[in-house]
Amino acid sequence: MNLRRTLMKAGQMVSLCAATVVLLELSVFLGPASAQEDVASAIRRYKEREFSTGYYEEYEAKPLHLRPMVGVSAVKTRPFPYTSTGAQIRVRTRLADSHRAIKFYENLKCEFCHMRETKDIHTVIANLTCRQCHGGEPIASIDHFYSPLNPIRKQAYVCAKCHEGATASFADYVVHEPEAGSSTTRTSFPSLYYSYWFMLCLLGVTLAFFVPHTMMVIVRELFKKKGKGREEASDAH
Amino acid sequence: MRIKRFGKLERVFHLFLMLSFLIQAATGFSRLFFPTSWGKQLARFFGGYETSLLIHQTVGLLMMAGFVVHTLWLCSRINWKNLRMSFFGPDSLIPNFQDARHLLQRMLWFFGLGSPPKLDRWAYWEKFDYWAVYWGLPLLAITGVMLMYPLTTTRVLPGWTLNIAALLHRAEALLAVSYIFLVHFFIGHFRPFSFPMNEAMFSGSVPLEEAMEEKPAWVERLKKEGKLELASPKPPSRRYRIVYFLFGYTALACGVYLLINGIAYSRYIRLH
Repeated sequence: MNLRRTLMKAGQMVSLCAATVVLLELSVFLGPASAQEDVASAIRRYKEREFSTGYYEEYEAKPLHLRPMVGVSAVKTRPFPYTSTGAQIRVRTRLADSHRAIKFYENLKCEFCHMRETKDIHTVIANLTCRQCHGGEPIASIDHFYSPLNPIRKQAYVCAKCHEGATASFADYVVHEPEAGSSTTRTSFPSLYYSYWFMLCLLGVTLAFFVPHTMMVIVRELFKKKGKGREEASDAH
Repeated sequence: MRIKRFGKLERVFHLFLMLSFLIQAATGFSRLFFPTSWGKQLARFFGGYETSLLIHQTVGLLMMAGFVVHTLWLCSRINWKNLRMSFFGPDSLIPNFQDARHLLQRMLWFFGLGSPPKLDRWAYWEKFDYWAVYWGLPLLAITGVMLMYPLTTTRVLPGWTLNIAALLHRAEALLAVSYIFLVHFFIGHFRPFSFPMNEAMFSGSVPLEEAMEEKPAWVERLKKEGKLELASPKPPSRRYRIVYFLFGYTALACGVYLLINGIAYSRYIRLH
């Protein structure tokens, strides 16, 4: 009986060690396996090319499910969102010069108007300047047909400068993240909004319960007579 | 006389989690707080912004491996002949109605109403400590792997999921860090009952009087089953105690250092 238990224990230990080794190996040797996939099939390769360049056989469009859930909530979409005069243009995302008709444009800095856009990881930590992605003057609107930042070619023209192998799907990452907790984000990027509030509530509830709980334990134990519990325990037995 | 509380492997798991968690917290903070001077200092300690990421990723993979190994070990501990006892018995870590009752009783006791609950081997807050890792680590692991291999991830998922992954990773990490450094440390070491240190996780056993005071139902049960006198573990040697006191307080100091600086510099960073 005892021998059997010892054997079982030993068996458990051996299987644990084996599992650890397998996991470590998996984490080390996964790299080459994914590289070999490159020569797997010509069709797959062609599809990848389509995917990463954004050029499709018959039409130039992105698959619908890849659209990020971000839109400009304040802008009403109409068949012709432009008026006849440039000065009254409200939707600036489809112009060859997105800053067209802005007064004293030469004297302005990007962050005067685009404050929020200068506060994300790409600018604060990677230290990128606006022009490194948006290009020189005139800065084309991101939805303009020839803009390097047009979603049909953004991944190849802009993202891939640093992120080698960037695909159209990869480029759907929202570089200029909206303020996650704000009410406008609820319509423009709902999943970000809800995950932010969910995590904040989780943090709030956990700490709001456990911090006072711990404090009460400390206070209560401070006022308890030392050894009182022990006496009671020994009385009971 | 002492009662055995943690096995050797359990203590090794805790030690592993302790070390890896501290490294993850420090390297993670060095990146989160990189725009501030403190974050830059911290990153310099780990060899820079990129190197601290490398450390973070490697230790993260090790943690995932540890998580899987621990889960396998947990499954190997299930007594298949007596599943009910194994899952809902007093030695099980699975929360049950008893815990809810204990919680209520203890809340009342905080305000001087009634007597403290007769806790068994695992108190409800200890069970929470244990299962918190089971929700936190998988969430951190999944979002971490997504951010680690963004190109592979975006082959399957659209790119904006990386925004969500980054947000979830940071928020969950902050939750874990603030819970461990505020609640876990204080309930483990700073409340009058266990000050200066709760040694059970390092020595593996607790003195009988201490257990009687804190976990009366456990001692009673052991007495009834006649297991109390069977194996009384030796008290930890003086040298070992010095080692784990030093180690524990070093870990504690690191945690408090991260927490205080994190709070002080939190207004200069953004969560997302």
